[in-house]
Amino acid sequence: MEKRNATSAKPTAPHSPKVKVRMESLTQIRKIILTLLMSGFALLMIMPFIWMISTSFKSPADVFTYPIQWIPSSLNWEHHIKVWSGADTFATYYLNSLKISLISTVGAVFLSAFAAYGFARIQFKGRETLFLIYLSMMMVPPQVLFVPKFLMFEWVGIYNTHWALILPGMFTIFGVFMLRQFFLSVPSEISEAAFIDGAGHLRIFFRLILPLAKPALATLAIIDFSWHWNDYENALVFLIDKDLYTVPLGLQNFILENNVDYNGMMAAATAGIIPMIIVFLVGQHYIIQGVAGSAVKG
Amino acid sequence: MHKSWMKRQSRLGYLFIGPNMIGVLLFFIIPAVYSFYLMFTDYKFMSPETNFVGLDNIRRMLNDDLFGVALRNTFVFLLAVPVSMGLAFIVAVALNKSVYWQKTLRALYFMPYITSGVAIAFVWMLLFQPTSGPINGFLRGIGITNPPGWLSTTEWSMYAIDIIWIWFMLGYNMIIYLAALQEIPEELVEAARIDGARPWQTIRQVIWPLVSPTTFLLLITGLIMTIKNFGIIQAITQGGPGNSTTVLSLFIYQNAFRYYEMGYAAAISWALFAIIMVFTVLQWLGQKRWVHY
Repeated sequence: MEKRNATSAKPTAPHSPKVKVRMESLTQIRKIILTLLMSGFALLMIMPFIWMISTSFKSPADVFTYPIQWIPSSLNWEHHIKVWSGADTFATYYLNSLKISLISTVGAVFLSAFAAYGFARIQFKGRETLFLIYLSMMMVPPQVLFVPKFLMFEWVGIYNTHWALILPGMFTIFGVFMLRQFFLSVPSEISEAAFIDGAGHLRIFFRLILPLAKPALATLAIIDFSWHWNDYENALVFLIDKDLYTVPLGLQNFILENNVDYNGMMAAATAGIIPMIIVFLVGQHYIIQGVAGSAVKG
Repeated sequence: MHKSWMKRQSRLGYLFIGPNMIGVLLFFIIPAVYSFYLMFTDYKFMSPETNFVGLDNIRRMLNDDLFGVALRNTFVFLLAVPVSMGLAFIVAVALNKSVYWQKTLRALYFMPYITSGVAIAFVWMLLFQPTSGPINGFLRGIGITNPPGWLSTTEWSMYAIDIIWIWFMLGYNMIIYLAALQEIPEELVEAARIDGARPWQTIRQVIWPLVSPTTFLLLITGLIMTIKNFGIIQAITQGGPGNSTTVLSLFIYQNAFRYYEMGYAAAISWALFAIIMVFTVLQWLGQKRWVHY
């Protein structure tokens, strides 16, 4: 871009204080208007959520009244009770999802960190080739892998068990990329000093790099957890028994069985979404940083 | 001595990468190779024998009308990507500086993306309810007497999915655009302002060109992300009504796990791979433009 303008463009005539004040209040007004506009649009964005929650408390007759009844005339808890009790309850789905997501995430973060350190910090034969293979695997759509994985899991006997989700879930190529990027950005002087003191790679990894990488690890953990929690496709392909269902699958099941109970559907959807909203509110900073960082750095 | 050091380094390298590599081998590389083999067979789940059929599956795919329908639906699905990006750019520019409650607003826009999945699919299903749903209620309210049937009609179903997808991706695109906008040096925008550029001109002639690498990146990654997705569609319509929302990725799933035509499904999945490959090559070519601007 043309830097010339930036240097030569001194304000030609200094504004009088009066004009300056007026201009400042003008930008202030503009800021307020823009804020209101953007808030309105943001409200529109989260309207489906608000509608969902409010509908889950309505009486069946009020679901589709128009204009929309945003605040239900009476609070009906029965739909939520229905979701959380009975034979196929969300309590089971929550436990299953929690188990799968937690184990997968812990495994994925640890295994990715290990591999990312290898790729970023150790010179070894075939490193570039291996990394290229990793890279190419990101291009392969999950649909390519579904059938072979299905057959493999059948054969090993983990089809229709939680292992079919946990084991593959512990390996994330995205995680290796993200952490490698981070480890590359840690100055090499830090580990060189430790090398001189006689520390090996293992020691440097555990004592120096991992503690330094805490924010990056947290980011990966939150993104990975949300990915596992929301994963519908893998559960759809690899699970059959209802008592093994995760939240997305349980939700689908609930809706198939109660497809005329709109209030119940929305109570179930609320149950499916609330945990992610909590995770998001707690880890917002990490999620947004992680998403922004991973894309901008390529 | 140097040689033994190198050897030790190599061993250590494999020690670090090994555990992850085993998983990548088991759950990515071997399945990919196996799927490539399946493409040339007539493998059906639970059928007694499997034959090598050469290019039959590919021939069948090219003559399959449904494949054509799925391909067309996929392209309609992909339309959501640029639309979502356009909206996201506007939101990002507005949120970059000149508003209050920046952080809260950002979080609100981003929320759909994090709450992905089937839950939201069902909410939209009711919102789009043709006779009494709130969206058509609103449309009637503003004087449209005959609003679309959305998910229940073949003409509109794919566009209804597009609307959901635009909504879903907007927050993600916005965050990436915001990150790019924050990289723009303050002086450039300031200089344009002092030179008398109006805000609209500044956006068009300074900001938009400067974030063009991001636009390109978002376009390609968005297309890839969208083309792989089928969860939302499977949850809402299962590809219907008719086959009006059967996109390529869903078509593969149906062939594999509804009709157990696994050889055929493998062939279509590699067609999907080919499309992703084209996007990836484009991205790689664009990378040069993208790295140093």
